[in-house]
Amino acid sequence: MMMNKNLVMNKDYLVPLLRKLAKTHRLVAPVRNEYGDTLFTIITDLDRTEIDLDHQPQASLKPYFFPQTDTLCRYVIDCDPATGAMDYSFHVQLPQNRPTVYVGVRSCDMFAVMYTDMVFLHEHERDVYYKQRRDNAIFITIACNTPFDNCFCNATRSGPFLESGFDLQLTDLGDRWFVETGRARGAGLTEDWACFFRPADEADKRAQFQAELEARGRFKQLVHVDLASKLLAEDKVPESIFRDLSSRCQDCGGCAFICPTCTCFNITDQPRDEAGGERVRSWDACTFSGFTAMAGGHNSVDVETGRIRRRFLHKLQYDVDRHGRPSCVGCGRCVGMCFGGVDMIRFISMISEAGENGAEAGE
Amino acid sequence: MMHKNDLRRFLQADDGYVPPLVADRNVYLPRRARVRQVVRENSLVRTLELVFEDQIHSSDFTYLPGQFMMLSLPHCGEAPISFSSSPTRPGGFSLSIRKAGKLTTAAQELRPGDMVGVRGPYGRPFPMADLRGRNLVFVAGGIGMAPLRSAILYCLDKGDEYGHITVLYGSKTPGEFCFMPDLTAWRQDERLTCLLTVDEGDDDWQGRVGLVTGLLDEVEMDGGRDRALVCGPGVMIRFVLERLAALGFQEDNMITTLERHMKCGVGICGHCHFENKMVCTDGPVFTRSELPDLRKL
Repeated sequence: MMMNKNLVMNKDYLVPLLRKLAKTHRLVAPVRNEYGDTLFTIITDLDRTEIDLDHQPQASLKPYFFPQTDTLCRYVIDCDPATGAMDYSFHVQLPQNRPTVYVGVRSCDMFAVMYTDMVFLHEHERDVYYKQRRDNAIFITIACNTPFDNCFCNATRSGPFLESGFDLQLTDLGDRWFVETGRARGAGLTEDWACFFRPADEADKRAQFQAELEARGRFKQLVHVDLASKLLAEDKVPESIFRDLSSRCQDCGGCAFICPTCTCFNITDQPRDEAGGERVRSWDACTFSGFTAMAGGHNSVDVETGRIRRRFLHKLQYDVDRHGRPSCVGCGRCVGMCFGGVDMIRFISMISEAGENGAEAGE
Repeated sequence: MMHKNDLRRFLQADDGYVPPLVADRNVYLPRRARVRQVVRENSLVRTLELVFEDQIHSSDFTYLPGQFMMLSLPHCGEAPISFSSSPTRPGGFSLSIRKAGKLTTAAQELRPGDMVGVRGPYGRPFPMADLRGRNLVFVAGGIGMAPLRSAILYCLDKGDEYGHITVLYGSKTPGEFCFMPDLTAWRQDERLTCLLTVDEGDDDWQGRVGLVTGLLDEVEMDGGRDRALVCGPGVMIRFVLERLAALGFQEDNMITTLERHMKCGVGICGHCHFENKMVCTDGPVFTRSELPDLRKL
């Protein structure tokens, strides 16, 4: 096994390094647009683009591997003039495999990619559309010295600094980046472009340790994720919480769409004309009232009282059972997204409070 | 390299399920199959007999009772449909489809020679190997007979591998029974006891009127040894399982199959969630002990 290396890179060297990488790879990094939104963006001109490493990207990397809408295949309908029988055929066009360097990826979003890898590549039938986009991706992540307002990745154990998953992890040491190599591709990259790096000395390592320690003390949110999983597993969550939050859900799907680990999808046919159309996969949300409705109208979920149940139980209970950790990565995006306040922090605080009261009442 | 999932299915399957060996097959891509015959079961149900257009697919194809296929029809997307035929009768397979939504309505219009798309087989089948040597009680309501017919034909074709077979079948009206030629044959077959009941009779109906749960009291069963396989509307499954439990059936000896909205069929899309399970991959066949709350069926 390759040893992880610790290196240091001058702050001014990042863009030159990316310029070299851009010759063989597509570059994706957070960019602040004219509306003040920071979004992961495909960078075509490094010299005219300002990479924004100061703000949390508003969306995760999810759309790069699992787009909001994705054509699975085209279908063609024909009629045999002799017999009148209908012919029907499917034609696949897989997405292009484009070697890409993702830069400035926060720990939570890197963790989310590892989770979606499990869903689309390992746990079930392998998804060729995801794989096609995911192969040949390089991740240069950035450790969070200062967590953002809604962040709680400390509680989901998915940040603020990563121990694995990245190719390179950068830590901001003021005038320089502390660089850790994770996977083999990251180590190879530092060897190919050794001129940009120097070995980290003791002072650099101390500064990195200090930054990581301080970051852990800077979280503004105290979210009891493990307690929530425990209460759910012990069935100690009052039904009234599910009812209350379900009634506040406005059926917009925003929480699922913004969530880096929500992977539910729909598959529909989009007719082009009588002779054919496209079969399209699109993001779906388990909170939508029609998510479980069957042809004929029967719905196994009581939407009024239980629509938000699946979302929280899946992430905090079922995935803990299945994979040994919650599938919330603590990015806090759903907190900013939901105008009904049906977010992860709200849910966890409600059930923790109810759990405490239950304990006091001697339950 | 065999995919992990294929390997698991291979090790679990009891009847020589042969996993595909292609490394990166596209699970979402349907295969073409041609309608060989259409059987009109009643005013709402058609049975399609399908044959793969590509003969390699035909020879490579095997399934077990209780599994399902994702059926594609032009402009209608896909829907999960259980096999109503038995793999003991190769050379094609049957899907029985009740008119309910857009795709199932379009399916009623199909004629022999038409092409459809199918992918599968998916889902956990009935535990046919574990059922060997047992007396079996099949309880069906309406179109719920489709997956049970697959298992009944399978048992009959396997000769004396299985014990006595009891078929209890309830329908709303006499005109709504599916698979009439089979029912007629079964009623004359000494290996079977086959009782029918309807919610509402008509002038020609000479048989029983009442719920299918009532038939459970008319037949001899040994709750400790026999196995019950139940399929029908959710509420019927609930009452039958409750009645069987009262008659002494152990939770592991009652087996049912659930119906859900599904999109992928392979455990990813999330639509068929049932508590901590996915009906498409953890089911659709479940024992009673795997279904804690019957009110959510």
